Amino acid sequence: MALLEVDDLRTHFFTREGVVHAVDGVSFSVETGKTLGIVGESGSGKSVTALSIMGLIPRPPARIVSGSVVFDGRDLTKLSEKSLEDIRGSQIAMIFQDPMTSLNPTLTIGTQITETIRRHHGLSRDQARNRAAELLEEVHIPNARQRLDDYPHRYSGGMRQRVMIAIAISCNPRLLIADEPTTALDVTVQAGILDLLDELRTEHQMAMILITHDMGVVAEAADDVAVMYAGQIVEHASSEDIFNRPEHPYTEALLGALPHLESENVRNERLTAIPGRPPDLVNPPSACRFAARCVYANLGDSCTTVPPELREIRPGHLVRSAHPASERAGHREEVGAR
Amino acid sequence: MAKFVIRRVFWTIPVILLVILMTFGMMKAIKGNPFRNTERNIPAAIQHNLNREFHLDKPWYIQYAYYVKGVFTWNLGPSMLQRNQTVNDIVSETFPVSAELGGLAMLFAVIIGIPLGIIAALRQNSAFDYGAMAFSNIGFAVPSFLTSTLFLYFFALKWGNFTGFPTFGWSGFHSKVLPAIALGLAPMTYFARLVRGTMLETLQQDYIRTAKAKGLRWRRVVGLHVLRNSLIPAVTAAAPLLGYLVTGSFVIERIFAIPGIGQYYVTSVSSRDYSVTMGITVLLSILIIVANLLVDILYGFLDPRTRDLRT
Amino acid sequence: MSSTEERQTDFEVALVHAAEASHLHDAGAALRRSSLWRDALYRFTSNRAAIIAAVAFLMMVGFVVLGPIVDRADPYAVNFGIAYQSPSWSHPFGTDEFGRDLFVRTALGGRLSIEIGLAATVAIMLIGILYGSISGFLGGWVDNALMRFLDTLYGLPYLPFAILTLAIFGVVNFWTMVVALTVASWFTTARVMRGQIISLKENDYVRAARAVGARWQRILFRHLLPNTLGVIIVFVFLELPGVVLGEAFLSFIGLGINPPKASWGSLAEDGYTAYNTHPYIIIIPSICIAWLILSAFFVADGLRDALDPRTRETKEG
Repeated sequence: MALLEVDDLRTHFFTREGVVHAVDGVSFSVETGKTLGIVGESGSGKSVTALSIMGLIPRPPARIVSGSVVFDGRDLTKLSEKSLEDIRGSQIAMIFQDPMTSLNPTLTIGTQITETIRRHHGLSRDQARNRAAELLEEVHIPNARQRLDDYPHRYSGGMRQRVMIAIAISCNPRLLIADEPTTALDVTVQAGILDLLDELRTEHQMAMILITHDMGVVAEAADDVAVMYAGQIVEHASSEDIFNRPEHPYTEALLGALPHLESENVRNERLTAIPGRPPDLVNPPSACRFAARCVYANLGDSCTTVPPELREIRPGHLVRSAHPASERAGHREEVGAR
Repeated sequence: MAKFVIRRVFWTIPVILLVILMTFGMMKAIKGNPFRNTERNIPAAIQHNLNREFHLDKPWYIQYAYYVKGVFTWNLGPSMLQRNQTVNDIVSETFPVSAELGGLAMLFAVIIGIPLGIIAALRQNSAFDYGAMAFSNIGFAVPSFLTSTLFLYFFALKWGNFTGFPTFGWSGFHSKVLPAIALGLAPMTYFARLVRGTMLETLQQDYIRTAKAKGLRWRRVVGLHVLRNSLIPAVTAAAPLLGYLVTGSFVIERIFAIPGIGQYYVTSVSSRDYSVTMGITVLLSILIIVANLLVDILYGFLDPRTRDLRT
Repeated sequence: MSSTEERQTDFEVALVHAAEASHLHDAGAALRRSSLWRDALYRFTSNRAAIIAAVAFLMMVGFVVLGPIVDRADPYAVNFGIAYQSPSWSHPFGTDEFGRDLFVRTALGGRLSIEIGLAATVAIMLIGILYGSISGFLGGWVDNALMRFLDTLYGLPYLPFAILTLAIFGVVNFWTMVVALTVASWFTTARVMRGQIISLKENDYVRAARAVGARWQRILFRHLLPNTLGVIIVFVFLELPGVVLGEAFLSFIGLGINPPKASWGSLAEDGYTAYNTHPYIIIIPSICIAWLILSAFFVADGLRDALDPRTRETKEG
């Protein structure tokens, strides 16, 4: 059985301007030791999905309206806040996008690491401190012991992210969720962080969910990839399959592998490239959500009337589209490896 | 850090000197003022005293220099109207009273205001929150002379037998409660709103989300992570509030008939006892400047980011 | 996509899109060209608290302007026969110790208090803006010196400063009161204006304008001023209550405008002596002051939110 199974998760935000359907029927699973990459643009719902798993969505406006998140046999959406607090940090850990703001500026790095350890494993102050120093070494921060007493502002962005990672693995979680861990960092630092994550994952036997908008990151690091758009998963396959044989028009566009326009299907008011905006999530389109920006969508087609289901077009490869690549007229098997 | 403190302290000195100069200048500009050396309607004996004490026969800058020396050696000169008293005497009698009143008011403001703000923030948009904020708004808008009068009317006059609050005077615990609360009401609302605001802002911060993601108990998240960041601005608010306390005390002391420095100030102005006026003004100014200094230094210690910046 | 957009949470972006989408449902989905002011007006009018406050504020203004016209009682007519009457139909606010109708007196008192307040506020704005702009615009040692001087002024407590100023004039009338209050209150405005000018000076679009070769007048009028105008308007509504309260305090401790002319503060002082028997005399003008303060404050709040959309966003985190 998979470590984490998300089934038809729906998270909505109830605001004055309307109900925002941020996550609208998302299902996937993650196995121990594997990495799932979730890719999508801003507003696709990937971060909200991650926060929903952890139960960290802001409770006044947001709510998980339906679906289940089963971790290690227990449905997290049904647990009390107290139980969730026990799981967070020790069984499932999360690191966030912006390392500059994710650490408390008025507490030392040491405190922020040891408090997690002491909370979940009840170590004494000295034991926790030793462990903290070890962790900093594990994430390759030099002079670990002295740096424990430093405040976050003395660390660079890349180092802070390493600290975040150290905190995340401090209690040996079974699952690590990384929400855009490299987005706010310089390109030169990115690779180091990704390598570190990979290293730690194999060493600690963790499963990982890697959320990003960058296909390049996912190509490196993920075993499976789920592509999200407008609150739904539109394609889900192994990393290799996604890159070698993408099916969904959106995925293709993300990969920059737009096939030549089929003359019979071109309509000139359609956007021909990714520019344009995702649909209004307060009133999402009742049919295919990508139709407005899709090159292959047709007026008389099911695209605007029937919402496409997520179906298995090949073993292990799911897609939510009426016009996946392998079913298009004149499709050529020429999309090569990237 | 020490360098910062020294530099800051060093700069206060010219500020104080300048303030004394300004006060001195203003005093000289007031008509009918023996300082101006043009009026002759003061008993000769006092005039003689004044000349001696304040060197009124010398040019103004000499007068100023002597006065500054007087300030720093704690000699503010004689009262112009009361022959046996010096300004020092008057100040030593009245200042402790006002200081106590101010202190109690501040205590009330902090003890009630800060928890109020904290709870309001944690229960945002609840009935408690709306109630607390409505109460704050009223407390801050209604002039203190009205609240004092109402307190006096209800708690001291009407229900005085029950509560034991007297209607005037300043001796014993009971007489201090009402004035302290009346004076502390506005600062209390200020703290409540400030703390609520900073807490709400802090609660939105990414690092709070991180703390929750670490599985820390909510009690700890609030008690340590949130509060530590939220209360620092409240500290810095203390200094300007001192100015308010000074201002407010004028009215409160009048209504509750408390023999404090505010009362004396007004009396001295209307009775033209200018050395007292000047002495009190200078004293209050120095007080405010020093308070600002202390708060600045305290803030430097509290926020680790500025701590490092200053070294 | 800019990196800022990427850093927003999905929710915020979704919300922005939702809001924009609802705007697009009219005028044929054409992009609506709103100026800063029209946007601000729209935001202000959709803010319920701000509208209520604005109405309350106008009500008070209406009261002081129209009150004496509606109620034709003579505010100075002494008539001991009807002295100390509680509020009734013929005298909605009752009468004072001299039998004068308090409704009219309160309205007239309000006129005086508000006039003093407005005059002082305008003066504060002028001086503060001038001082702050010069300091901010010139920068360098001028800025330093001016700010140090300002720091010194902060050391003088508010009331004593005002009291001394009044003492210098020797007499308390409309103008001396205005001057005294102005002198004691202009510091904050100066400091804020300086901050505004400095931050705007360094702003990228000013730099861009300069780079294109715009002359300083254009920069001043089309860039700097419209942005500071918003701050100025907000500050007017913040300073006004402060000044009105200051005048009330001064009047209350006996340094107000001489009778029989009255302001709210002096009316309160009159009423104070009879608080135990006729509390309404002090309560009514005090409530008027509180009313003005509260409504002005919330209008200022609403204006601030309306004119600077960024403050809204930070609230959402």
